[in-house]
Amino acid sequence: MKLLVIEDEPGLLTSITRYFRKEQFLCEEARTFEEALEKIENFQYDCIILDINLPGGSGLQLLKFLRQDKKRDGVIIVSARDSLDDKITGLDYGADDYLTKPFHLPELSARLKSLLRRKYNEGNATLDLYGLHIDLTARTVSMGEQPVPLTRLEYDLLVFLITNKNRVVSRQAIAEHLYDGPGDQAPGPEFVYSHIKNLKRKLKEKGCKEIIQTVYGLGYKLVT
Amino acid sequence: MSQPLQQKNTRILLRWLPLVMLAGSVFLYFLMRGHILHMQEEQLHLKQENIWRAFTTNPGGVAPHIRGEYDIFPETAPVIPVSDRPRDTVLRFPGCPSEAFNLLTSRLTYEGRSYLVTTYISSTEVTHLIIKIALADALIFLLLLGAVVIVNRKISRSLWAPFYTTMDNIRGFDVRRHTSVNLLASTGVEEFDRLNQTLRLLIDDVYQAYRNQKQFTENAAHELQTPLAIIRSKVELMIEGSALNEDTAQLLGEINEANERLSQMSRNLLLLTRIENRQYPEVETVDLSRLVLKQTMFFRDYYADEVADTKTEIKPDVQLITNLSLVEILVNNLLRNAYTHNIPGGYVRVWLDHAGFSVENSGPPLEGDPTRLFDRFRKGREDSRTTGLGLALVHQICQLYQFGIRYGYQEGIHHLSVTFRSGG
Repeated sequence: MKLLVIEDEPGLLTSITRYFRKEQFLCEEARTFEEALEKIENFQYDCIILDINLPGGSGLQLLKFLRQDKKRDGVIIVSARDSLDDKITGLDYGADDYLTKPFHLPELSARLKSLLRRKYNEGNATLDLYGLHIDLTARTVSMGEQPVPLTRLEYDLLVFLITNKNRVVSRQAIAEHLYDGPGDQAPGPEFVYSHIKNLKRKLKEKGCKEIIQTVYGLGYKLVT
Repeated sequence: MSQPLQQKNTRILLRWLPLVMLAGSVFLYFLMRGHILHMQEEQLHLKQENIWRAFTTNPGGVAPHIRGEYDIFPETAPVIPVSDRPRDTVLRFPGCPSEAFNLLTSRLTYEGRSYLVTTYISSTEVTHLIIKIALADALIFLLLLGAVVIVNRKISRSLWAPFYTTMDNIRGFDVRRHTSVNLLASTGVEEFDRLNQTLRLLIDDVYQAYRNQKQFTENAAHELQTPLAIIRSKVELMIEGSALNEDTAQLLGEINEANERLSQMSRNLLLLTRIENRQYPEVETVDLSRLVLKQTMFFRDYYADEVADTKTEIKPDVQLITNLSLVEILVNNLLRNAYTHNIPGGYVRVWLDHAGFSVENSGPPLEGDPTRLFDRFRKGREDSRTTGLGLALVHQICQLYQFGIRYGYQEGIHHLSVTFRSGG
């Protein structure tokens, strides 16, 4: 998978690319408007991670050029601007998703994978893991033939962990992912523990392997 | 104690004017009395002179006594001392009421004989005159007092009118709302012109300082976001590293927690400043019933292991024309507050109808002053979990939309309610 990360802040840029290179993504970087424009025009990417505030121009402008050229690269906007207007404008211009800075890397990763799934396996959105079958469209989980009844939060938690499998996901990242309200107002992460506990219990009851590990109270990891 | 200007003015006038007037009256009385006595003395002398002249030019042709007018007595021994000054006396005549008189007795000689000549003049009329003058004086002084007070009030009212206008204008001054204060440049009174000019400068300065401060808060909060985001991403890379052991994991966890709090705090500060700056002008029709239900369901599920019981009474189709983000934050923060400051096995109740939204929860008693509940950085016992800005945000949003907000606590039950469109 080929990824272009357009971000002017070097600290963030290297974090993003390092994170995704670990998952065998081919990551390219662009720090300015011109650099980004050149890459967009000359190459094709599976997904572009796009910052709006760039030296030399606006990320929204880049998005406009991209869609005028009828290029269908997936685009996730990441921006410090968190007004609803920017989000709507971004999506109107043809972005596939919008994430407000600061974000958690596992969250970006989940959005990216969900985008790629929508892009490449249309109508066939399932995840399979150790006999665990997850239907992303119907939002159901089954183990073999047996359905695993999960609450909405447990389901979201499981999918989030699977999307970020073999990576440590912090409690905060999970809390923010589960949260479905206004930006920046997620509840504290101290209750993530109880949902993990319930999820593990339900999976175990249906005979699933112990796949969720606790990492020193920092976060959780789904291992395969 | 302070009193209104008019009242104070009148009081001072009423305190001092009568004193001055009383002193004037006393002075007038003595002056009048002196003049009148002098005049009577002159009259007595004149009368004596006339009578004596008549008596001496035509001896025997003039009666020696006329009642109430004069007496001429030939002097016999013993010789009594006679002063040449008028005296008071009261004479009684048969058939008449007694009457006060002034009399003058002189020893005069005619053809070797000495006579005592006494002339009388009635003092009753003079006393009446003095009383009448005193009454007239009192009346005039009273009228004068009244007139002075009234005129003074009228004059000061019109003189101070620009001052009152200025006061009314600056009463509406609210630095947070940037209300325009309309102060007259020219009032016709130099002092008031100067006052208005000084006030204008002051108000401009205050606005400027306030704007700078807000701008600073906004910039600071905004600029903080990037380094915080970088720290967050680096921590996330580190917790995946192979070098992770229990020690470093704990350190990273603490760094991460502190960083998350800092990040949330700065975002909330940013939000607060933006609300204060009224940077959320977009409004739409928000289906509050759906929003409250959705958020309550989230919190119920999220805190299911701690808060055992969530009850809702949500009327359908409660709609509000408002800014979606802000009302989401309002509902969210009230709910989060109810769930985080709860007790194990506690409960939360949520009401929504067309009049308002309220949340009730079990919880430990509030520490500190309930009136300061909505202050920034005021925190309950769960210090490390919260930013201390959640309810300040709620308060700010209520203020913006003029919603009423009330807090009550009774025996382990906290109740927070928001009334839409307070005061109609």
